[in-house]
Amino acid sequence: MSATMFDRYGGFASVSKIVMAFYDRVLDSDVVGFYFEDTDMKALIDHQTKFISSLMGGPASYSNDVLRRVHAGLDIDRRAFDEVVALLVETLEDFEIDPDDVDEIRQAMESRAPVIITT
Amino acid sequence: MNLEHFNKLLLESAGVGLAVIDTDDLTVLFSNKRLHEWFPEVDTGVPLDDLIDEIDRDAMRERFAKGRGYTVEATVKAGRRSISLAIHMSLSEAPESAGIVVECQNISKIKELEYMIESYSTMVEKQNRSLQREKERVEKLLLNIMPKRIYEELKHFGVTTPQRYDNASVLMVDFVDFTDMAISRDPAGIITELNDLFTAFDRIAEQFGCERIKTMGDAYMAVSGIPEQTPEHAVNIAKLAILIRRYLRRRNEAHSHEWRCRIGINSGVVIGSIVGVQKYVYDIFGPGVNLAARMEELAEPMQILLCEDMTPLIGDEFNVTELEEVEFKGFGRKRLYQLEAGSAIMPMEPDAFMQRQPV
Repeated sequence: MSATMFDRYGGFASVSKIVMAFYDRVLDSDVVGFYFEDTDMKALIDHQTKFISSLMGGPASYSNDVLRRVHAGLDIDRRAFDEVVALLVETLEDFEIDPDDVDEIRQAMESRAPVIITT
Repeated sequence: MNLEHFNKLLLESAGVGLAVIDTDDLTVLFSNKRLHEWFPEVDTGVPLDDLIDEIDRDAMRERFAKGRGYTVEATVKAGRRSISLAIHMSLSEAPESAGIVVECQNISKIKELEYMIESYSTMVEKQNRSLQREKERVEKLLLNIMPKRIYEELKHFGVTTPQRYDNASVLMVDFVDFTDMAISRDPAGIITELNDLFTAFDRIAEQFGCERIKTMGDAYMAVSGIPEQTPEHAVNIAKLAILIRRYLRRRNEAHSHEWRCRIGINSGVVIGSIVGVQKYVYDIFGPGVNLAARMEELAEPMQILLCEDMTPLIGDEFNVTELEEVEFKGFGRKRLYQLEAGSAIMPMEPDAFMQRQPV
């Protein structure tokens, strides 16, 4: 069995760096930044680290039900979703993640779109 | 560039928020650009402890009195970001720069990492616990097919070596006409009853320091003296035989179906070993086992048969009846005996074994 993306890129230590850099971009974005105005970033970064880890084949898992529940009521539209995906892709590229792997993560995010986009 | 200008530039561009405040009223005497970003009202003449609620003037003075610095944590909002700050204050006693030096560090990232480490270790602990549970479950399963000591050997060394036990005793039980029974009656019901019987046998075996090695169809095999050696092995097996028969007799009185068994017991050399690699079981071999099997075959229904090899080992605690001599291939002529209860097994109530166990 080949190593998962999660293991190849150095596990939680690396993913957490990527996620922190990712949220720096997110907060600066005029499209989605306001969503996070009053968010407890510590908890969000922690969850997102586990979520991205799970997309990369690491331990931790988030069911669609959980994702639906935590995004419900946020009125997330397609534009906001696309912006977040684009920012993540940019961040991954900055961290020199292989383009094929970036694409795999992007597709995994995209497959969750129906449970996150509510308007 | 002169030094004064350079120092000023350095102060203004530092990532650390810096200020000097008045020792008495805590008003700000000097602040740099970074501190101004975090606390825009810093130079409006407000005492710093009014501006930053977390600062407790008395606590601060108490620390200063002990010659120590004073640190608090606070959160400020900068744009969309909430920034965690560590604010360290220390007394500067130099006559030309008397005042309190205030340093503010952005510790948001550290806070985020601390939170993540904690959450990560909680997750790892949780996974460890579930792994541990799984390990215990596997261990329990393995202990069903091999003695504990053999399991420990397998766990530590990855392999086990066959062991020779010179002093061990074996019991074999087989039911009379079992094959016919299974065919003529409902097989599921028979198996359920068989399960009850073997469960009861196991409990008797455990009580007398014996260990069930395996069942094969309607046959039941137990040993004593393996892998833990005991000088009582023959007596243990004899007690087990008596009580298994007594259990069956009592059970037959209360049940519509009568189970009758043949029991053979023997003492001798036994080899114990794990057999198989992918699918392994612990099994026993050797003359001690073979002769026990022969005894069992020769036994009449509800009779316990042993031979002259074993009788000296069970002492005078049992009643034995001398029977005929029989020629055994590979063993020569052996005198047979029939085992009955004696002083070792008092007429006790085996009712404890009658209770059905949940399976």
